[in-house]
Amino acid sequence: MKLLQKTIRSYILYSVLVLLAGIPLFYFLVHNLVLKAVDNDLLATREILKPRISDALVRNAPAEIHFLDQNITLRFLSVRSDFTKIETQDIYDPHAQTKIPCRVLQSGFTVNGVPVVLQVSNPLPNRYKLITSIVLIELLLLALLLVGLLLINRQLSKTIWKPFYQALQQLRGYNLEKSGALSLPTSSVQEFNELNASLCELVERNEKSFAAQKEFTENASHEMQSPLAVMQGKLELLMQTNPLTEEQALLIGGLADASQRMARLNRSLVVLTRIDNNQYDLIEDISLNSVLRHFLGEYRLQMEEKSIGIISSLAADNILRADKALIEMLVSNLLGNAIRHNHKGGSIEIDTGTGWLAISNTGSDSALPADKIFQRFQKQSNDSNSTGLGLEIVRKIAAIYHYDIHYDFINGLHRFSIHFNNR
Amino acid sequence: MMRILIIEDEKELSNSIATYLGRGHYHCDAAFTYREGSELLAMNDYDCILLDLSLPGGDGIQLLKQLKADRKTDGVIIISARDSIDDKINGLTLGADDYLPKPFHLSELGARIAAIIRRKQFQGNNLLQFEEISVDLPAKTAMVNNKPVDLTKTEYQLLVYLLNNKNRVISKNAIAEAISGDGAALYDSFDFIYVHMKNLKKKLASAGADDYIKSIYGMGYKLTMG
Repeated sequence: MKLLQKTIRSYILYSVLVLLAGIPLFYFLVHNLVLKAVDNDLLATREILKPRISDALVRNAPAEIHFLDQNITLRFLSVRSDFTKIETQDIYDPHAQTKIPCRVLQSGFTVNGVPVVLQVSNPLPNRYKLITSIVLIELLLLALLLVGLLLINRQLSKTIWKPFYQALQQLRGYNLEKSGALSLPTSSVQEFNELNASLCELVERNEKSFAAQKEFTENASHEMQSPLAVMQGKLELLMQTNPLTEEQALLIGGLADASQRMARLNRSLVVLTRIDNNQYDLIEDISLNSVLRHFLGEYRLQMEEKSIGIISSLAADNILRADKALIEMLVSNLLGNAIRHNHKGGSIEIDTGTGWLAISNTGSDSALPADKIFQRFQKQSNDSNSTGLGLEIVRKIAAIYHYDIHYDFINGLHRFSIHFNNR
Repeated sequence: MMRILIIEDEKELSNSIATYLGRGHYHCDAAFTYREGSELLAMNDYDCILLDLSLPGGDGIQLLKQLKADRKTDGVIIISARDSIDDKINGLTLGADDYLPKPFHLSELGARIAAIIRRKQFQGNNLLQFEEISVDLPAKTAMVNNKPVDLTKTEYQLLVYLLNNKNRVISKNAIAEAISGDGAALYDSFDFIYVHMKNLKKKLASAGADDYIKSIYGMGYKLTMG
């Protein structure tokens, strides 16, 4: 759930609760208040009437006492009874020609020794209308208030959290190998400024250590080339010396192999740093099939040497927009691995389809650890000719062009597949 | 005697190259800095110049420009660090004849130098000769006593490589790289060289040539009279 949704959801929940509980409560309260006021009116009316009734009794006979107000009636009793009762009754109203709810006060008392019962009634419909109106108006106000608050909150949240979302978006798109420093806007919120500052610092530190690592590999592989050249040269000169014993010759041969391996390793490291430095940027249209055919020809002797059968149906060609050197490295490394990690008399299958390429080969009987094989120096064999950098190079090239690369072990075949998504 | 100028700041490498080439009919001068290189270039004409690009005192590319400005026809091979491929493009467009990234096999360098000198000196007439064996490079045919010998592509490559480095031991690594390039790493062993070399020797022998190709135990091969 998004941050905004979460806060707003709480607000809405609270508002609905307040409204649901508030409306009946409010109605009940106003209703009671109104009744109380009416009751007070009734009681006050009784108190006003008491002396008048007394006066009237002095001057007139009880039967002659009438009230102009039809809501007030007076009855005379033979027995004295003191009571006061207020209740709501439905009383027939001659004007409306129907029964309407009224608040009725019945009070028994004695006036000048005469026991009487005074009934004062007060019709309620008008009061009910008032109550409804008040409740409605209050409701409307409450609703307006809540909606307003929600909107303001939403808007505020949006503006307040904006720097946060901007930072988030930049971080999401951040790629150590490609992006530069983050450019985060300053915010009026202190916490966000601190967050941004920390993020920028973090990225900068990362960037620095990445650059340092890159520079180190670059320098190391560069500086290694001259001493390697010297070593290889001296070894070749040593080979020319005479006489050499068989023992010495074997030692020199071993040294030459080792220096050759080092040279190969160096070559791969140089390629990796060059990829990291984006130095392969001659983008052109490349026919994948023609690159495949080229390397099938190039490695024909190696495959014959191991009696490896090739099953290839270069059916659909893929035209890739990329640097040719990189695509050649991609294909040569995958095909090279399929040869190197194959056994004598094995086979290699090359399948292509629109947007994908798969190279499968026979080899070891168990699946390779798919999560490790693309990491550098994760050698899956003790073949001294393998640098342990081939699949790392493949992975980097795939990353540059957003190709998806997968390893599967199906029916005893090691299968590397690439999906070219960039078209 | 062919004259070679080695412009390379790594003295040990320069010495190794000079020693190796000195075993052939090459005379080598060495320059270790930009200034030395510039002076030697101004004073002498060379058949081939080996040029390192990163030199103390200047960029080797400038020497190449100077050479071309002076309209010298010396062959130039850039020998430089592998990670300067831009320099390679730059160098080749500026008129270098070849590019050999470090580290390299001296035998490979020998072959490249021989190729360039042949190209510069014997325009068209490109014949490699060793006793009764000869190779017509443009026609890509090998001959013994002027009679063609039918060789496979690999056998032909082997023979040319040996002829370009005669009287010197060539390591199996260098041969594998010369034949297969980067694909050399895909061989489990150097047995394949042995097989091809055996076939080559057999074909040359049956065509009437003496056995000049000596197998040097543990190291490689050598084309020699003795």
